Amino acid sequence: MSQNTELTQELLELVERCLNKTANTEELKDFEAKLKTDLAFKAQVADIKTLLFGIEEQSLKESLNVFHEELDHETSNKSVPVKTMYIKKIAVAAILVIALGSFWFFSGNTNEKLFAKYFLPDPGLPTMMSKTSNFEFYDAMVNYKLGDYSIAIKKWNELQERKPNNDTLNYFLGVAYLAYKDENAAITYLSSVTTLSQSTFKNEAYYYLGLAYLKAGNVELSKKNLNFSTIDNSKSLLSELND
Amino acid sequence: MPKVTAIIDQESSQIQIVRAIKNNDLKVLKALYQANYHKVKALVLSNNGSIAHAKDIYQDAFIAVWKNIKNDKFTPKNDTAIDGYLYTIAKNKWMDYLRSKRYKKTLVTSYETHFNISDITIDEFSDDNTNDERLHSVMQSFKHLGLPCKTLLTKFYFEKKSMRDIAKELKLDAASTRNKKYRCMQKLRKLALNLK
Repeated sequence: MSQNTELTQELLELVERCLNKTANTEELKDFEAKLKTDLAFKAQVADIKTLLFGIEEQSLKESLNVFHEELDHETSNKSVPVKTMYIKKIAVAAILVIALGSFWFFSGNTNEKLFAKYFLPDPGLPTMMSKTSNFEFYDAMVNYKLGDYSIAIKKWNELQERKPNNDTLNYFLGVAYLAYKDENAAITYLSSVTTLSQSTFKNEAYYYLGLAYLKAGNVELSKKNLNFSTIDNSKSLLSELND
Repeated sequence: MPKVTAIIDQESSQIQIVRAIKNNDLKVLKALYQANYHKVKALVLSNNGSIAHAKDIYQDAFIAVWKNIKNDKFTPKNDTAIDGYLYTIAKNKWMDYLRSKRYKKTLVTSYETHFNISDITIDEFSDDNTNDERLHSVMQSFKHLGLPCKTLLTKFYFEKKSMRDIAKELKLDAASTRNKKYRCMQKLRKLALNLK
């Protein structure tokens, strides 16, 4: 860009007209003729084009970041409404009643049997059509609720790569893996939730982590984790393990 | 018998896409961007890259495709041509990066280091480096231009809105919008010159 020449409004608008093809034929003819003969003019036009391309490219760059943020929409803890948590607790309670009700059906006391008796996947979070900001997360939640754990795991894993520290995601991935009979993967994800200083899912995560260790045959670690959970089911499972 | 109507439709949809890209139609650009990212991400992640690498490479490739379409260096032949082209450019850029000294150096220090891939696209090896520098200084200046000017210039030159519509949005009359636009261009030019 040359220091000496000034940018005039006339030239700017002429270049604009030529670029967006709104210049009339005579104007265009003159313009092209001058470009060929007048080197200073050619340089001025090149400068203006650089300005225009620069504006466009930088604007595009900034738009791409906006597009990308939408791909990145996170499933943060904050996005889980209080009401949802309340419903979830009721659902958990209902499952506990069912689980306890079926208690006497089982007589043996092997780890597998205990696991089968106590393990019921978390009922999941209500999926709302309007929650477009968390679409990917809730889309996988639908698969999870339908029992298509492998699909849910695949989708959540993609999200998890972007949000490795999201407790909601790690919790449901853990439970989904447990339901999918991969207790080792479940242990990894659930442990990451229990090590957080604060999480709405911490209490449940300890319970499922205890179950995962039970499934893996590690009774000591199972008891240790169940001990940290205040869920009723956790306590009754613990007392059975201690029997 | 070839399905002529199908061919025509396909062609016209390509022409429409090219036109939309040239006009920076945000809806089309966004759809194109979001539809192709995951494939590139998978490629980078499975070839020693991180999520941050994937984003940088992909955005670079996307801008290269946009530029080439704009300058008629690339004309898509069918519906999936743009997707394939975008993926190929991203792949080449990633291969270049893996072969680069910067990557080998990064390997020693840390995987996490951010990087900037050079702006040279595959069919853009211009011998005119000064031109790239100028463009770069304009872009940097525009990035830091005051918001009123930036908004006005973005609407006019990027979103291709008419002067009348912009004047309406900014609650100004057409003549003062036109003058304001000119003053903003002077300001941008001055900033870019100082940056050089």
